[in-house]
Amino acid sequence: MTSRLNVPDLCFAVFLVALGALAFALSGQLSIGSAAAMGPGYVPRGLSAIVMIYGLALGIRAIFSGRQSFPEIALRPILLTSAAVALFAVMLPLVGLAITSFAVVICSGFAAYDVRLRENAVVALILSAFGVLLFVKALGLPIPIWWR
Amino acid sequence: MFKLRAAFAGLSAVVAAALPFHAGVTAASAQTFTKQVTIIVPYGPGGTSDILARLMAPKLSEAIGQPVIVENKPSSSGNIGADFVAKAPGDGHTLLITDAGTLATQPNLVKKLSFDVQKDLMPVSMVMFSPYLFAVHPSVPAATLQELIAYDKANPGKLNVGTSGVGSVQHLTALVIGKKYGIKWGIVPYRGGAPAIRAVVSNESNVIFNGALATLPFVVQNQLKGIAVSGDKKLPTVANLPTFKELGMPVVEAGSWQGFLTSKGTPPAMVAKLNAELRKILAMPEIANKIKELGGDVRTGSPDEFAAWMTKAIAEWGAVVKAENIQIDG
Amino acid sequence: MDLFANLATGFAVALTPANLGFCLLGALIGTLVGVLPGIAPITTIAILLPFTFTLPPASSLIMLAGIFYGAQYGGSTTAILVNVPGESSAIVTCLDGHQMAKQGRAGPALAIAAIASFVAGTLATVVIATASVPMTWLALKFNAPEYFSLMVLGLTGAVVLAHGAPEKAVAMVLVGLLLGLVGIDVNSGAPRMTMDLAGLADGIGFVPIAIGMFGIAELAVTLGKPQDRSLLTVKFSNLWPTRADIRACVPSILRGTAIGSILGVLPGGGAALSSFAAYALEKKVSSTPERFGRGAIEGVAAPEAANNAGAQTSFIPLLTLGIPGNAIMALMVGALMIQGIQPGPQVMISQPQLFWGVIASMWLGNLMLVVLNLPLVGLWVSLLRVPYRIMFPAIVLFCCIGTYTVSNTVFDIWTMLLFGILGVFFYKVGAEPAPFVLGFVLGPLMEENFRRAMYLSRGNPWVFFDFIERPISAGLLLCAAALLVILVLPAVRSKREEVFQEE
Repeated sequence: MTSRLNVPDLCFAVFLVALGALAFALSGQLSIGSAAAMGPGYVPRGLSAIVMIYGLALGIRAIFSGRQSFPEIALRPILLTSAAVALFAVMLPLVGLAITSFAVVICSGFAAYDVRLRENAVVALILSAFGVLLFVKALGLPIPIWWR
Repeated sequence: MFKLRAAFAGLSAVVAAALPFHAGVTAASAQTFTKQVTIIVPYGPGGTSDILARLMAPKLSEAIGQPVIVENKPSSSGNIGADFVAKAPGDGHTLLITDAGTLATQPNLVKKLSFDVQKDLMPVSMVMFSPYLFAVHPSVPAATLQELIAYDKANPGKLNVGTSGVGSVQHLTALVIGKKYGIKWGIVPYRGGAPAIRAVVSNESNVIFNGALATLPFVVQNQLKGIAVSGDKKLPTVANLPTFKELGMPVVEAGSWQGFLTSKGTPPAMVAKLNAELRKILAMPEIANKIKELGGDVRTGSPDEFAAWMTKAIAEWGAVVKAENIQIDG
Repeated sequence: MDLFANLATGFAVALTPANLGFCLLGALIGTLVGVLPGIAPITTIAILLPFTFTLPPASSLIMLAGIFYGAQYGGSTTAILVNVPGESSAIVTCLDGHQMAKQGRAGPALAIAAIASFVAGTLATVVIATASVPMTWLALKFNAPEYFSLMVLGLTGAVVLAHGAPEKAVAMVLVGLLLGLVGIDVNSGAPRMTMDLAGLADGIGFVPIAIGMFGIAELAVTLGKPQDRSLLTVKFSNLWPTRADIRACVPSILRGTAIGSILGVLPGGGAALSSFAAYALEKKVSSTPERFGRGAIEGVAAPEAANNAGAQTSFIPLLTLGIPGNAIMALMVGALMIQGIQPGPQVMISQPQLFWGVIASMWLGNLMLVVLNLPLVGLWVSLLRVPYRIMFPAIVLFCCIGTYTVSNTVFDIWTMLLFGILGVFFYKVGAEPAPFVLGFVLGPLMEENFRRAMYLSRGNPWVFFDFIERPISAGLLLCAAALLVILVLPAVRSKREEVFQEE
């Protein structure tokens, strides 16, 4: 345990290299052109190479820069918040805003450690009605209230 | 707290009153329309298609006895919105209002188009045509097409056309005209018509083909110099400018064509009903006048006429795209 | 004394009871949609457009303009209270505004935002009334090379935004630039890095990125740290800025107004820079730059002033040239055209009542907003007393709805989710999102203008540096170089000091 690894920095560096590599691969078929008449691939490829090299440099430094462990991650709020957002994306086109809002509020409510079941249900009902009235009725936004 | 709530209620009431779609539907109901009708605008709010849709939606709602809402599904090419309508159920309850000229260029321009323009969409009715104004920056020493051709010969590489985007009708128009007269102008794409005008008014580029209404004031103010008008009708404010037809120019009908389409599989009776209602709306003086103020000429016709127009436009632009070897999907 | 006669004409139009009503209505609706994250003023204006067809032109423009700057006010409220930015300018407000809220100083943050906006709005109205013509000239002087050089200067300044490690800020700018390239290339029409997803054809949406990285990520992180939430329920002893706060903010507001007024005139890109630039400048001139990012009140006042001044002066190209500087202005052109008025150089002469009426109503609108918003400060702050477990689901829901309404597709919701998760990751590894967002916003503009300038000069890079033909571009690049030196020097010096200390 005498490693001099800076874990957060190393993670960030790995992210940079991976993103750069992905972007480099995705822009692989684009023509590069010349400096005078640049093709669509000129800037993306150059930039993704720079990101990769920068990431490598940060990574090397992270290995020798002193021990620091990855900060603790509270999984429950992150997972449940993500789940709530995903629920919105999946449910809205199927069942409309009213039911979706209810489900999203219930789900994200459980992301908090001090959730209270009955209170959460009441809040969900109120927010669902409020959302429909405000966004669809008052602001006239084209969001389906129920299933089509 | 109480006051705020009262103010809020008042506000909501005013907003709701401002939105005709939320008004109770009173007109005699046509049996064919059973639920809310959605008009998809494949561009952001504020464009010609969007304004036309919002202008006509309340009238359509009255006519068919169902609420009509306008929904923007914006993308630069309009293909995301068109795709949505192409894949909607064929019951005539989802309409697309779009630039039909741009739509007609897509099958040949875009390699991997996610829908078939002719098979997945059913033309309902044309709405309006608005011509292009062909203009140059005042510093360009040419006032006619012939002088412009001569100027380009004497000063190669000085002319640049600002267009509303790669593969746009403006871009293709510039290509066709450049080829016909041997003008070797550069073509500079911008993010839409307004940035293109800005660029030409500020002499970044110096030639433009752009919607007459947006471009006209700059010609009147001598910030741009008019050369010609597309189509076959002169514009009253600049009656001295010749039309493309008079000059014998190619792509006479280049310009902005707006039309309504719906999803495939919609019963012909529904399409006919929609067509009849849209024509009635376009004949209303208040609508027709607004369209005139938008710089357009009301153009209606049967679904078949619109379909025939589409077929012709797809073939014509397709020939240009193939000849110039332009391709948008990599 | 033409100016006074003109302003008198303007106030005569703006002060009619009907127009006052429309101004108030617009400001109210604008504040409401501004507070709701993601609901763009442009959506609201589009929906209200048919209603304005029946109004006189001046009234409709007064109301639509009211929505526009009302939304700017409302947006900063959400940024300060819950760290959810609806547009690029609000991101800068998040940096110090939300920190102030966490320290129990939400009241002063909100109040100073309103005051700064009002002062900037007043000064910008004077600028529009007196200097429209020279400002128009400036707008026309900016061509592709000038825009490119301006973006270079902006990105050099982006590193100043971060209060943590500068090398990570540079990395984040690069990542932002890279992701900004996703979508169809303006110059060639080729789709880049879209993975054949239709939703990416026009690039990754700004709203899903901003709401995901700031809003959703912040929520998830805060929930995981109960000790942080207790900060949100500390006693709010003072709602108003202290005299010392005000004194500290006066020069910041003035500098912010100047930057915003100038950048706001530039169509396409200038406005995006104004609040970032104002913030970076404040941090640079401050004697205590280390307070920035940790709740410095100048860090709220200057960008708010810049943003509001820029919002006002962005009307200049519209009113004097008829060229809309952004999508909202384009919508206003549509509204005017429906009324049979073609905006353009002639509007000032042929429709003086419209032109000056709108200008007068801008000032009145700002007055109404400050009168409306200052009493609301107490109400907003009391919102923070709602238990977080109840507030939190509401914010998640509103973020989702707001993001959906940008282009009415759930694709943006998935994007928001992805960037929310990325935001948590960035937070954990100590990389700040603000430089990323600036890179993301400016990157495409920079590339577009660079390639356009090179094409127009037929491949001659000298256009950027030509002091005789292009003094503005060359001057901006010179500033960028100077800024770079200022940024690098202290780092070099402190390194040297460290070295000396070690010895």
